[in-house]
Amino acid sequence: MIEHSLGEFEELVLLMVAAFHNKAYGVLILENLEEKLGKKVNISAIHVALKRMEHKGFVTSGYGGITKERGGRRKKFYVITALGKRVLDHQYALRTSIYQQIPKISFG
Amino acid sequence: MKPHPPKYALEFLRWFCREDYLEEVEGDLMELYDKYYKPSPARAKWKFTWNVILYFRPEFIKSFNRDQYISPTAMFRHNFLLTYRTFKRYKTSFFINLVGLSCGIACALLIYLWVNHELHVDKFHEKDAWLYQVMENWEADGGIRTEFATSGPMAEALIEEMPEVEYSTAVAPSSWYGFSRLSLSVGEKNIKAAGQYVGKDYFNIFSYPLIYGNKNEVLSDKNSIVISEKLAMKLFNTTEGIIGKVVAFQHEQEFMVSGVFKGIPHYSSTQFDFVLSFEILKETRPWVTSWGSTGPLVYLVLKEGTDIQQFNDKLRGFIKKVKHDENNSRMPFLQRYSHHYLHGTYENGVQTGGRIEYVRLFSFIAISILLIACINFMNLSTARASRRLKEIGIKKVVGAGRKTLIFQYMGESILMAFFSLILAMLVVILFLPHFNQITGKELTFCLEQKLIVSALLIAFCSGVIAGSYPALYLSGFKPLGILKGKLNASVWEFWTRQGLVVFQFTISIILIVSVWVVHRQIEFVQRQSFGYDRENVIWFDIEGRLKANTDTFLSEAKKIPGVINAAATSHSMIKHNWSMQGMEWESRSLDDKTTFQIAGVGYDFIETIGVEIKEGRSFSRDFGAESEKIIFNEAAIEAMGLKNPIGSTVNLFMGKKEIIGVAKNFHFESFHEELKPLFFVLLPHGINKIMVKIEAGKEKETLEGLRNFYETYNQGFIFDYRFLDDDYQALYVVEQRVSTLAEYFTGIAIFISCLGLFGLAAFTTERRLKEIGIRKILGSSEFRIVHLLSGDFTKMVLLAILIALPLSYFIAIWWLESFAYRIGLKWWFFMGAGSIALLIAWFTVGLQTVKAARINPIDCLKDE
Repeated sequence: MIEHSLGEFEELVLLMVAAFHNKAYGVLILENLEEKLGKKVNISAIHVALKRMEHKGFVTSGYGGITKERGGRRKKFYVITALGKRVLDHQYALRTSIYQQIPKISFG
Repeated sequence: MKPHPPKYALEFLRWFCREDYLEEVEGDLMELYDKYYKPSPARAKWKFTWNVILYFRPEFIKSFNRDQYISPTAMFRHNFLLTYRTFKRYKTSFFINLVGLSCGIACALLIYLWVNHELHVDKFHEKDAWLYQVMENWEADGGIRTEFATSGPMAEALIEEMPEVEYSTAVAPSSWYGFSRLSLSVGEKNIKAAGQYVGKDYFNIFSYPLIYGNKNEVLSDKNSIVISEKLAMKLFNTTEGIIGKVVAFQHEQEFMVSGVFKGIPHYSSTQFDFVLSFEILKETRPWVTSWGSTGPLVYLVLKEGTDIQQFNDKLRGFIKKVKHDENNSRMPFLQRYSHHYLHGTYENGVQTGGRIEYVRLFSFIAISILLIACINFMNLSTARASRRLKEIGIKKVVGAGRKTLIFQYMGESILMAFFSLILAMLVVILFLPHFNQITGKELTFCLEQKLIVSALLIAFCSGVIAGSYPALYLSGFKPLGILKGKLNASVWEFWTRQGLVVFQFTISIILIVSVWVVHRQIEFVQRQSFGYDRENVIWFDIEGRLKANTDTFLSEAKKIPGVINAAATSHSMIKHNWSMQGMEWESRSLDDKTTFQIAGVGYDFIETIGVEIKEGRSFSRDFGAESEKIIFNEAAIEAMGLKNPIGSTVNLFMGKKEIIGVAKNFHFESFHEELKPLFFVLLPHGINKIMVKIEAGKEKETLEGLRNFYETYNQGFIFDYRFLDDDYQALYVVEQRVSTLAEYFTGIAIFISCLGLFGLAAFTTERRLKEIGIRKILGSSEFRIVHLLSGDFTKMVLLAILIALPLSYFIAIWWLESFAYRIGLKWWFFMGAGSIALLIAWFTVGLQTVKAARINPIDCLKDE
């Protein structure tokens, strides 16, 4: 499943796209990730992840309307695709199943 | 104020970032920038820059190979459609361009045909590369004289003595005889045809293909005659089975047909209907065997690889050896035969020009006319550019590169040129017969490969030239400026357009002046007084019975009503015939090299052509021993330096002669030549022409009477006469043709220039219609508006006049230099040409401006 591979950062971005369905765009993802992770993230890193995932077919994108913000430049909104969702599900199932195999360890 | 992110960082981003990512990236960066700006502007700026730098990685860098693939057929279709629509929409400029370019291309094609023909004359001989003529330079008073003729024995001597010579022949050309026509008859059939006497290898040297007969043998028998296919048809009505048949020549000799050659192609400078053996000429004119006389033309074929320079050196020694004369001033040299036609003029022994000058002149005219037509296209397209601004702007915004636009506009002009080519070809086909008549050629317009390629090339080049400036100019607009409607015509552009109009008119004015000068000069030459009266003088050859009975014939002929006088002569009075050096007189200096023209005449000749005697008397039957007497012209007396010429004696090859008279100077050659020394002597033998002066107004009856008398007196011969005046006109046939052609082409050049001016005027007035309307409302008169609109054009034409006049002055001087007798250049030639140009320009512009000035202001102001 090389073509469906999903890096750690990509997974986070993809989760964000899925979470903000139809409203996800660069700055929004950036701000929410920074908030969740509690650390600075670079906008270019998010763009790279988005472009790569778009290339892999996990997300699609489309322009929104022109607004006065951003100097009249349109926002580009990202939407998760069925494939993207499946990959995410798969990832989640995998982690959950392994996680459940962990015996109850007590760390005092 | 809205905060602006760092300019350079943003520019850098825009420069490297992929276009499809740019908007998103820029947008996000701007949003972040705005967000950070509030707490700390400096940090926001720094962060922005840093982020831009972080984007500088392969995923975001665009491909700098910008030209994207566009389907060529689709683009072509698109361009074609646009061109078609433009043509349809702006019909006036389309027609102006079409008419202008077709005229230009048609002229270029006609001139191409003519030049091509001129360049191919005489080049068709197989051995052309090694086919030479022996020419001679003679030392004469005032420099070296170049002669085409040499001595008769030269041909045979050279092939015997010089190993480099492969073939050689002496030729006595048809032009030796009267008007180049001699009598041939078979049975009762009598015709006149042009013939020449040639050596036996003639057909080996010149490639005139034989239909019957072997080229090595046809002339081996001295009694053979080789005739052309056409002549054979005239004499025998067939070309088959005529070998061995007998043809009577001049009703004196009989020759046997030994061969038939195909008609001489029209691109041969030598034209003849039959040839006879040179051997037979040696019997009838023994002087052609002498080394002392010159006259025959000698042609050689050299072996390949011969060094011409060395050969010429050998020739010089050779002539001294055969003449046993170390001081001989004759310097024979070789010249390519096919070179003569275009380079036939020699000055002081050096080849100076010839027809090639006209070839160059007309090539120049063709290019000028084509250029004028191209300039029309440039001016109209750039002037109308404002109409197409939106189109260019949109195309550029959508992503058309400059190259694409250049391609489109070039395509438009090339398409235009090809439309014009089709029209031009029709024009050429229509006018070719007329053109042939003017040029005296037999040009045909058959679509052979070479012509097609040349025509396409002409059209393509004019298309590219016409399209170059508009294409570069239009494609260079900045889309932003165009779409905002802020296009200020640059000063440079304005000057270019004006400069092009000035250029057009400069050429037109130069052409007007030149045509004027050529016309005046030719008129001058033809109206000049010659010092004798060539009106109503006819001449014909002395042939058959006339030879022995010239005097009886003349005295009988004088009795015919309408005949004023008649005399025999050996001089044609229109060109160089016969000359000599080495006259001896009392006060002659030893190194004198004066050349005298010899006019061997009969009694009454001087009176017949009306040469005035200045001193002394003319030849008269009332005195005895008149053949011991001589009459000089003024030029000769001056050259000899005689104070009291009458009564003194001179010694020449004809013996001692006493001077009895001095004739006033008269022109016996073309006006290209200076007046030369000449003398009249009575000749008992060798006179070959009769000149008859006819009463004016009775030409028809008199000629009829002469014909009846001639044909009964000289049975079997046709009375074949010519007017001296016509022959004189024929001397200037080249100038006449050039003058007529130049007149036509000048007309066309002016026409095309005016078309362009008309289009430009139409356009400017149309653009200023509202202004005119407002001016009229405010009370401006029609005259003032016309004045306002014509002002610019007047200035352009005036500038063109200023440039053209000095140029045309030099050109006129240069052309007139080839005439020994020429008109003076008058100031009003130039002023006249200038005024004509200005008037034509005013008229052209006026057509538009007057119409515009008379417009009702309501019509142009009611909209908006």
